[in-house]
Amino acid sequence: MFSIQDTPLDLSALRADMADPACGALVVFEGLVRNHHEGRNVTELRYTHHLILAQKEGERILAETMERFPITKAVAVHRIGTLDIGDCAVVTLTTSPHREAAFDANRFLIDSIKARVPIWKQESYTTGEVEWTSPCPNCGPIAH
Amino acid sequence: MKAIILTGGKSSRMGTDKASLKIGGVTQLDRILSLIRPLTQKIYLSIAHPSLNQSGCDIQRSAHDLRPLADLEPSPGPLGGLQAAFNDDPRSPWLLIACDLPRLGQRDLKELMDHHDSQKDVTCFLNPLDNQPEPLCAIYSPSASAKLDKVIAVNQRCARRFLTSLDRIELTPSDPQAFLNMNRPEQLAELEHLDQYGAVEKTIRVEYFAKLSQEAGTESEDLRTSAATLAGLWDEVRLKHHFTLDLPHVKPALNNEFASWDTPLANEQIIAFMPPFAGG
Repeated sequence: MFSIQDTPLDLSALRADMADPACGALVVFEGLVRNHHEGRNVTELRYTHHLILAQKEGERILAETMERFPITKAVAVHRIGTLDIGDCAVVTLTTSPHREAAFDANRFLIDSIKARVPIWKQESYTTGEVEWTSPCPNCGPIAH
Repeated sequence: MKAIILTGGKSSRMGTDKASLKIGGVTQLDRILSLIRPLTQKIYLSIAHPSLNQSGCDIQRSAHDLRPLADLEPSPGPLGGLQAAFNDDPRSPWLLIACDLPRLGQRDLKELMDHHDSQKDVTCFLNPLDNQPEPLCAIYSPSASAKLDKVIAVNQRCARRFLTSLDRIELTPSDPQAFLNMNRPEQLAELEHLDQYGAVEKTIRVEYFAKLSQEAGTESEDLRTSAATLAGLWDEVRLKHHFTLDLPHVKPALNNEFASWDTPLANEQIIAFMPPFAGG
């Protein structure tokens, strides 16, 4: 399941949905809003997206993740709208019988979402400036 | 009037020299020559300074029997061609023309010639796509020669900046795409398509996202365009809105699905232009 929502992510509900007695591993990655970007102090973030294409591409990435790794289930949810420092912007969850596949699949899932899903963020800084940010070079592969 | 053709040497992004690039089977040098020959027989080819070995240009020159004019210094930029021209004949007006103007038509070039007035430093066109004067398809009067020497003396090499410093006549070409050029392979696909099927007007809804919507001042607009492919449409809106991103950093979508730059446009499609993604 891939979804995009403009309300806070309910992590405990998402975790509960992953429950499976055959799985010995659940990997959860939470992407959080940081208070700095390339040396500037960030006060809040606003995420926007391409409504149709973001959903389509997210679903394709999940299907690829299921195909590439021996995992039982994969879920990803991205939040859009205005977020505060510390808020969870994206969560990826993967379960598998053994931990290696859940870890590998989760890494692939979040990297692919960041690189391929048309979502953008606008940062507000303590200086009052507001800017659309480029992908952070420390955050893995850049799509284009 | 005399004409000097800039061949520009090898284009790093195209991976070849533009003069010998073919569109519809015709090289750009042959095409531009066919436009100029009815207007003047005094045609010169701008070539590199003798210290640079550019054999490709030699081959073209000998095939076309054009008189070469070598740059006076090794890397003078496009103004070097004009400098060499005035050095050769300071009393003649010179048509300075790039070889990579595949959409420029005979009619517009004749207009340029007909409107030339030696009382003005230069007669040029405004590119309808960005409303900027075009320095590399313009007739420079002898009065521009001394001004050119001055800017070169202070190492100012920007042809457009030089052009806008001159007393000039500005014309509007009949074809809004007259000054499309090709710096990227995607633009070549656009030009091949236009050459093959002609310019067809269509209505397109264009959507902009994130930084692009901020720079355009709108999230979407309906455009009448003669662009043939997504790359052509991008060039048009890039110039219109002065986007700070260019094609390698933008992803296009057609009717809500990712598409390649060379995809042909059809009437009433929805095209999205998207800056680099930044989710997570």
